[in-house]
Amino acid sequence: MEVVRVEGLGKTYPGGTKALEDVSFSIDKGEIFCLLGRNGAGKTTLLRILATQLRPTLGRASVLGHDVLADPKSIRPHIAVVPQEARPQMLLSPYDHVFYMCLIRGRTRADARERTRKVMDELGLWEHRDKLAADLSGGLRQRLIIAMAMVADPEVLFLDEPTIGLDPLGRRSVWSMLRALTKKGVTILLTTHYLDEAEILADHLLIVDKGRTVFLGTVEEAKGDTGVGMRVIIESAAGNGAGPPEVLEPRSAEEILSIVERGLRERRKVTFKPASLEDAFIKIVGGSIESENT
Amino acid sequence: MKARIREALYIGLFDALPLLRDPMLLVVISLFSFLPVIFIFVFADQASAVQSLIGAIVLTFSFTGLFASQSVYFNKQWFRFQDMFVASKVSPASYALGLSVSGLVVALPGVLVALVLLLLSKSATAAGVVLLLGTSVLLWIGLVFVGFAIGATTKNARRANSIPQVLSIALGFLPPVYYPLERLHDIPIAQAVAMLIPTTHAAQLAKYYFGLISIPAWQVWVGWIYLLGFAALMGFLASRRAHWVDP
Repeated sequence: MEVVRVEGLGKTYPGGTKALEDVSFSIDKGEIFCLLGRNGAGKTTLLRILATQLRPTLGRASVLGHDVLADPKSIRPHIAVVPQEARPQMLLSPYDHVFYMCLIRGRTRADARERTRKVMDELGLWEHRDKLAADLSGGLRQRLIIAMAMVADPEVLFLDEPTIGLDPLGRRSVWSMLRALTKKGVTILLTTHYLDEAEILADHLLIVDKGRTVFLGTVEEAKGDTGVGMRVIIESAAGNGAGPPEVLEPRSAEEILSIVERGLRERRKVTFKPASLEDAFIKIVGGSIESENT
Repeated sequence: MKARIREALYIGLFDALPLLRDPMLLVVISLFSFLPVIFIFVFADQASAVQSLIGAIVLTFSFTGLFASQSVYFNKQWFRFQDMFVASKVSPASYALGLSVSGLVVALPGVLVALVLLLLSKSATAAGVVLLLGTSVLLWIGLVFVGFAIGATTKNARRANSIPQVLSIALGFLPPVYYPLERLHDIPIAQAVAMLIPTTHAAQLAKYYFGLISIPAWQVWVGWIYLLGFAALMGFLASRRAHWVDP
């Protein structure tokens, strides 16, 4: 079932800055869809349009079957957003934030108390409930913002760089929470600069550059389409600075064999590194920069 | 309708919560407008002090309206809570009302204390008290709109803090709000400029309804028309500047 549909979407800001141009894609129910791109590529603009916070200037976009421009009121009760660089109010406790967000979103006080406990427990915030937000670490503050969005029990969740500032364990707890949500049928659209995050989470991804689509597909397709294959690194076994490591991209089994033989002969360490999304991203976005320059 | 009012109250409470959680700060902010009254009471006569007490009530309302700009700015640009509210069933009217009344929650204790002191120093009719509060509330509405226009237009935290403070001096401490308009009698230009400032009109009307000054009927009409016109104009300005969905 299609939850998000975008057709020829464009956005030019009142000052004349063109942020998006002819973007089209769709997202199915229960999917994690990642938006990737460099800073200023148009990721946040696209997310804000779909979250009904910003008006598009061209094309159409619908969420849960409702047009974002013509019928945003039908979308809003079913979505939640984690905005980019959101910060908690430093003089309030995490409990205040989550509890009041429940009340503002229409829950009764008893229901709000229960929901606050559940969401804070899930995100590991309950033990910090009475501290001031000012005394929380950066990671806990970010988790608090996510908790404020989670109280809504949304059908579609929009997250703009949600794991910025989280430590590796914090990031993994957010990832597992997002996966658990998709199992319940929640559809997730997230922007991120962490390509390992996109590689692990994304069912589909869209790479935008200067407001234009430069890739749409799965992670595997991104790696395959760009011809990014296995990388082999040959370096000094002692690691004592005997020259810089060589990074090779073998294209056939024979080439791999000959690299291994050379490594054995020269007594050097040979490391096989599978292609990553980061390699594909650099190739895709790098390619788009080159085609612009020529 | 009931759900919308509930939303607005919780948004207002959430916005005011940092101060409500810190009663010492609440007392300081709540009594801020009343500090000049102490000096006037010490250095002038009691009649002037009573006039300044009325001015302080008018200004408490106007400051809370003006300082809505900080709530608007910080919720939109700093905490980004506005983005979270837009992507929910919260209505823009509830949000605007919530941020507007949050300042009043903080200011009301001071206003109540001032009213009690006022009634102890001078007897007044119920109509006098109601009309004093009426002019103050009308001024507050106009300045809430000013606050929304400023908060929505400001793009950095420094300006969001400094602009309302500068305006509060221009609107509150310089014009004849704490002191009588007659004090400017010998400086016609200053008197004319004072009459362009909405707080002057609100203070004149409040003092008049409390029986502290007498002004001709036409001046009463001018005062009300000015305050209504100011609120309408600022409402129009705010509606052009403050957006729920960004253009």
